Amino acid sequence: MKKLLAASLGLLGLLAAVQPADAHFMVAYNKDTYMEKAKDLDMRMVFTHPSEAGTVMNMGGVKEFYALHQRGDSDVKKIDFLKNVKEITWKNGDSKAPAYEAQIKAKDIRSLGDYVFVFTPGYYHEEEEGVYMQQITKLILNVGGIPGNWNQPAGLPAEIVPMIKPYGLWTGNVFQGQVLSNGKPVANAEVEVEFMSNEMQLDSNTMSSKCEVKYPAPQFVTQTIFTDENGVFTFGIPRAGWWGFAALGVGPDKEYKGKELSQDAVIWVQAVDMK
Amino acid sequence: MKLKFVAFSLGLMLASPVMAQAHSALFDCFDNGDGTIYCQGGYSDGSSAKGVKITVSDAGGKVLEQGQLDANSEVTLKKPAGDYFVTFEGGEGHSLKLDGKNIVE
Repeated sequence: MKKLLAASLGLLGLLAAVQPADAHFMVAYNKDTYMEKAKDLDMRMVFTHPSEAGTVMNMGGVKEFYALHQRGDSDVKKIDFLKNVKEITWKNGDSKAPAYEAQIKAKDIRSLGDYVFVFTPGYYHEEEEGVYMQQITKLILNVGGIPGNWNQPAGLPAEIVPMIKPYGLWTGNVFQGQVLSNGKPVANAEVEVEFMSNEMQLDSNTMSSKCEVKYPAPQFVTQTIFTDENGVFTFGIPRAGWWGFAALGVGPDKEYKGKELSQDAVIWVQAVDMK
Repeated sequence: MKLKFVAFSLGLMLASPVMAQAHSALFDCFDNGDGTIYCQGGYSDGSSAKGVKITVSDAGGKVLEQGQLDANSEVTLKKPAGDYFVTFEGGEGHSLKLDGKNIVE
């Protein structure tokens, strides 16, 4: 009996092991991260597995959505966009869950400079593991080419601060970031990296079923990096498109409703081919 | 071919916001809708454009009004009645001119 149980467990373990090892990612998306002149923004916030248009999960609502705007060394302005957030249903294959869109008029971001968008969701309950997750997510857009606060902390409990301008990345650049917990660098933090390999289709609020990447094995779906003693990680960008980085469990909050909480920091960047 | 490149570059410069390719000065203005225009400038390395002179002129080049970018590299000026241009007087290689037709709300 013991042998049979061990064999069954072993088989289960094997089956689990060969499932794609994709990761939970809060996606914060706008078609472009760089604009020569302000355009209307059509943003989406979806909690999913972006590498293979995987399961969509209920993020537990939205707590904050704003942008920190700066041009050069001018004053940083906080622009609250929570009123622009509207609940939608996002569907990937047979999986669907509440997600959010934000329509922002060009006139609201007409000033040249950086817009560091911060999206703080509620709490996702991972029932199987009995834990909660909250992924505080940044997306940095630029209008007109004058940089601002892209490399400044936004003052979040958990965040990734870019060390390379995140809206002017060529394919083949590295992306380097520093992981902070309440403003302090986190050494040895686990950072997961995924490519958005299925196109975001905003008209239908779904990801394309066509995967642009042929992953040779599950090991390639989610890349993993650990930060150095200064909380810094470096990732070489092998392909144009959208790359997500999630520093796991780095936030100060460790518990929610009496259960374990993983308070993560996420950032999305866009790389472009040099033609 | 060279001419085409120059023309293309000029086209880029006339687009808004304007950009001086070599020195990466950037400048843009908006119509506030209340008889004034709001202008802002800066450089691609993020350095301040504080103190840069902004000139409003008519189609014939006559100066109608002048101002300076403040500590936040911005200034509000009166909008002229007819055709006009706004110039970021950043010195050689840094001067940029915007056509008033492209200055909208």
